[in-house]
Amino acid sequence: MASNTGSERVALLDSIFTRLIAWSIAVCTAVVLLLGLMVTVQFNQLTENSLRRAVELDLAALAVVYQQDGKDELLRRIDSRLTFVGDQTNPPYILLVDAAGAPIAGNLAEWPSLSADRGEAGSIDLPNGEAAYARTVRLSPDLQLLAAREARWDRTLLSRLLLAFAAAGLFVILAVALGGQVTARRLSARVARINNAFRDPDETRLSALDPGRRDRDEIGELARHSMAALARMKALVIAHRETSDKIAHEIRTPLMHLDTRIQRLLDCAEEEEWITSLDAARDEIRHVIALLESLLDIAASEARRGDVTGLPPVDLSDLARSMGELYAASAEESGHDLALDIADGVTLPGDGMALSRMIANLLDNAFKYVPCGGAVTLSLRPGPILTVADDGPGVSPEDRPHIFERFRRGRDSGSGNGTGLGLALVRAIAERHGLEVLLMPGGKGATFVVRRPSP
Amino acid sequence: MAVNGGAGLDILHIEDDARAASDLQLLVKATGDRVTWEGTGEGGVRAAGMHDFDVIILDRMLPDTDGLKVVGKIRASGIATPVLMLSALGRTIDRAEGLDAGADDYLAKPFEATELLARLRALKRRASGQAHNAVIIHGDFECHLKARTAFRAGKHLALSPKEFELFRYLMEHAGDVVTREMLLRDVWNMGFDPQTNVVDVNIGRLRRKLEDGFDCPALETVRGTGYRLLDGK
Repeated sequence: MASNTGSERVALLDSIFTRLIAWSIAVCTAVVLLLGLMVTVQFNQLTENSLRRAVELDLAALAVVYQQDGKDELLRRIDSRLTFVGDQTNPPYILLVDAAGAPIAGNLAEWPSLSADRGEAGSIDLPNGEAAYARTVRLSPDLQLLAAREARWDRTLLSRLLLAFAAAGLFVILAVALGGQVTARRLSARVARINNAFRDPDETRLSALDPGRRDRDEIGELARHSMAALARMKALVIAHRETSDKIAHEIRTPLMHLDTRIQRLLDCAEEEEWITSLDAARDEIRHVIALLESLLDIAASEARRGDVTGLPPVDLSDLARSMGELYAASAEESGHDLALDIADGVTLPGDGMALSRMIANLLDNAFKYVPCGGAVTLSLRPGPILTVADDGPGVSPEDRPHIFERFRRGRDSGSGNGTGLGLALVRAIAERHGLEVLLMPGGKGATFVVRRPSP
Repeated sequence: MAVNGGAGLDILHIEDDARAASDLQLLVKATGDRVTWEGTGEGGVRAAGMHDFDVIILDRMLPDTDGLKVVGKIRASGIATPVLMLSALGRTIDRAEGLDAGADDYLAKPFEATELLARLRALKRRASGQAHNAVIIHGDFECHLKARTAFRAGKHLALSPKEFELFRYLMEHAGDVVTREMLLRDVWNMGFDPQTNVVDVNIGRLRRKLEDGFDCPALETVRGTGYRLLDGK
């Protein structure tokens, strides 16, 4: 059982909502990148096709001019074609050469390595260092024509498109992150309310949990179930408390009246025998009350086993030291050697008086069974690990398994006083604080250890 | 019974159990205190507002309302009279609730009559500011609260810190009987009586230190009940 859930909060990096947002952003980024890649490929295919068609159109138009109107008209058309180049187009290139390959007209200086006889097409390098798509045709045995287009405009278009795409992608990612953040914060707050209610189920926290009619989602359902469970738990705790209060009241009140009667008798009793007997009767009343209270304390401790919510931190070192001091005088008187070995600053959330009682019961138990001249050690280590060890006769193997049970007394318990609840209460108090008490095996005497249960 | 100051206490007793009320009447008849009995919480709050009592004894379980609410009402109406809450609910948690609600002291039933009287006087003393003095003097004994030193007839008593606490508590209740339960609860903060005789032994040690070199006893053991600090003369 997690023993110290009181102060734990989910760290930012461990939150499912942080992870969810991180995932959304990652997925969004991947999708935007993939879409960008696809658009680029598609765009390149489209523009390449249109470039090719434009070059073919240029070449066909010039060829038709040559066929119909002859070489002079062709030269004039080439000039005018190259003069009127619009701004927003891919710049055209034309070259007309003779049989020897010497340029006759056009804006290129040299025929590339494309064969006009086969009407070859392909990419050529321009003098300005750019690449262009070119296509060739042989018009007559001594005339060959080349038309080409640079993809400059297409590239500008693509970069603008990608820029717009990147901007849109960034916007989408930001929107997802922001939206995710807002939603996550809301969900996180709702889950935190449920966790807070479990951590310390008081009235305000329970009413904060009430989701009303709006939240019909999963968390709303969880909140409703949590609220019902916590309310039931609270009701049980209250009912338990009321029942035990009632029992205490119903038994203590007649005992009080009985005690008052005896006291009144004592006031007018003269004979020593009477006084002794009446004193004994009052002692017995006190014994019954102690028994009742121990039983109720055990029940109350067991009802809240391991539940340390709302308990203030208690300095166990102080408690143990003060109990040690209290018992030191008695130990000296009864001829026992009480040794204290207490580490400083050992704290745990707890009920100080109950913890005092736990230590006192362990010490009472040791002093009861260890004969005069024996040694008892009370030690405390961080953890906390509280040990009460003695060098007395120890616990017999038959008694060991039952030593923490109610109304169980050691066989050699000579005097017979005590309620038989001491060690049962020790166990109940230890477990109420998320600790366990063990009777260590072997060794001389008995060694009781109170510590956190090993997982 | 030695009563400090002579004049008895003016007590308001809010309690539904007529028998418990008459028991208290019988008890205080011997001590010269006066008790006004109210059987309901409402009546109690009214009575507390009409007369200036020294102390209020309030039962926690009343038929018409909860004792915790009665303290709240008394405090809310500006009455600062010390309240001792009396209850059959005697566990630590019940006690803490009573004190939180505004009671000045809490006593579980059944109680020793002597303890009730001692507590009532302690409350009166505390309310009239006597307990805030830097020095408490009782007969030959002196207790210097700030310096944490103790004297008997001018002779310094070498007490350990815990022994001083014990001495101081006895001084604060000087003249009254303090019970083992009172000592355990108020000096050692223990709401139970351990099986080992820790109180008797620690009192015995203190007694030896208080009586060392003097002829008169310092402490009287009241059979079956507790101890009373004498004036040492």
